[in-house]
Amino acid sequence: MPIRKMPKAPPSIHLLGPTMFLVALGVGMGESYMWPRLVLLFGPEIRWLFLVGVSLQAVVMLEMSRYVMATGESIFMGAARVFKPAMWFFFITAMLVYIWPGHLSAGAAAFENVTGIPWQGTAITGMILVGVVFTLAKVIYNLLENVLSLLIGVLVVGTSIVAAIVGSFADVLTTITGMFAFGYMPDEALTAAWFPVIVGSIAFAGPSGMQQMWYTLHLRDKQAGMGAHIPQIRGLVNAGEQETMPSRGFMFDTEDPEEMEKWKGWRKWVTFDAIVLFWGITMLVTISFTVIAQASVRIDSNVANVIREGEQDAALQAMAGAFAAAGSPLLGTVFFLFIALIGLNATLGLFDSFSRGQADMTYYFVPGAQRFSLSKLYAMFLWGVIAFGILILLFGPADGPAGILDTLAFLSTFAMGAYCIVLLLVNNLMLPKKIRPGIVSNAIIAFGAVFYLGALLYSLFAFGVVVS
Amino acid sequence: MAIGVICGLFAALISTMGGLSLGYQTTSAVAMGVPMAIAGGGYCVLLALGWFQIGTVGPMAAYWAVCFPLARLIHEVAMATTFDYDTILREPLWSFLLFQAMLSVGFAIGFLWLHERLMPRWLLRIEVHNPFATALLDRYSAHANTMLRRKEERTANKEKPSSRS
Repeated sequence: MPIRKMPKAPPSIHLLGPTMFLVALGVGMGESYMWPRLVLLFGPEIRWLFLVGVSLQAVVMLEMSRYVMATGESIFMGAARVFKPAMWFFFITAMLVYIWPGHLSAGAAAFENVTGIPWQGTAITGMILVGVVFTLAKVIYNLLENVLSLLIGVLVVGTSIVAAIVGSFADVLTTITGMFAFGYMPDEALTAAWFPVIVGSIAFAGPSGMQQMWYTLHLRDKQAGMGAHIPQIRGLVNAGEQETMPSRGFMFDTEDPEEMEKWKGWRKWVTFDAIVLFWGITMLVTISFTVIAQASVRIDSNVANVIREGEQDAALQAMAGAFAAAGSPLLGTVFFLFIALIGLNATLGLFDSFSRGQADMTYYFVPGAQRFSLSKLYAMFLWGVIAFGILILLFGPADGPAGILDTLAFLSTFAMGAYCIVLLLVNNLMLPKKIRPGIVSNAIIAFGAVFYLGALLYSLFAFGVVVS
Repeated sequence: MAIGVICGLFAALISTMGGLSLGYQTTSAVAMGVPMAIAGGGYCVLLALGWFQIGTVGPMAAYWAVCFPLARLIHEVAMATTFDYDTILREPLWSFLLFQAMLSVGFAIGFLWLHERLMPRWLLRIEVHNPFATALLDRYSAHANTMLRRKEERTANKEKPSSRS
């Protein structure tokens, strides 16, 4: 790779970085719905699995950032350098997993509960709106960072206030101590009905599926590390201003002590992102949601039985009902509004990430694709996924929002096990020795591969199902 | 202060959608919104006076760990007094305050997130007649200049590729 100078890292204490995407994507259905539901069923002690899942994701995030900040290349390019079919595997997986408009449908369904507006109409309007906004944006990253900052800010402030009104000290204490009940697994959790749901929920603890891989593209667009040498992606309307993308990334001189100092600065910067912002915010929001859930079950103890007997849609309704019973009717409304907000958040992030990832792989690896700019390829995938989403919502076989989410949860676990393996290979084979991960990081990522794929296979062979 | 007002409006809006009475909506919105608005305004003043640095988390989290529980206490007392509840708090005062302080961390992060996005725009509107706003805006400008310098450094580095390339 050509050698270039690495830019200096900004101060590590900052609040607005590319982690915004992972927080926006991470604080999703897992934190607001799937994990509170498990707490309602099995008690707060089940949250030790959430702690493992989110902590694992924080380490994955740190390791994902390593290759892109050192080279300016995405993890997909790294995967192709190790073994090209691995990159195509993720290209196809993304197409299979993320063309389903699951998050927006779930959000729209929640919105229907509050307003009575049919969820298909809201979901389609939302998708078109997202497409138009990203098409008109000058630099897409800047727009997305602004919008997601506001949405996440409202969500974090809102959940804190609601939890503060309905919860108690005992709730937050059991929520926190429950995270350290390592090994707790009630018999009911090890059944065909619930174990696959737990596996899916572990995958949904933090950003699931390929979101961590797409994070490398956001880091590049944020100009982090050697990403500073790669142009930013523009919206379709401004595609004419798109600079030509270099055919490959760059490397800094790892033998130069000054450069290594800058590298350490960037590692510090991204570590702050991973630990304080990603891990911290995800944990805070989910603690608030769990406190609300515990407050609700204290008032209406029947909610667990309703969830046991009902379908997922019924569970969502039951949780909102229990939230309402815990404080007042407004809490049920609040719950649905939060779910709607999360659905919109996730859609903004996912549509952008999907289009970004697919455009990147197409640009570099599909012959002839470079006659289009990256911005145009991005727009093609963006409007492609929107068009497919609209067709599925209108005429497709989708079994409602919950069914789409189930499919996502299963495929996500598979993708996550696979990306842990790819990550190990890329970081340890493609980077100079001085900046390769240490033994502890490697061991944790290897554990991640075994954890995700092992849970999936156990679910498959022990129960014959992968998700409920 | 604006974010405090937003908190109150947020509470009122949700109360409306939840079908609660107008009296409950108003009381809850005022009892929650006013203390939060005062605390939010206080943060801005301390920021303008240089007690806090722009965008730093630690001191601001400590500030809200005090203000958030106090605002909630005022909210609970106001609701209990207005609607003649038998008890003001559902739990002992110390555990109530501790619980609120724990949740204040989440609120503080969200507050800062929104504040950093909304505040500079608001300051531009009010700086003409508000010296505090002018001082604070200057600090934001200095902060933005530092960021710009870093960007220029990056660009300069980009234009000078190493001879080993």
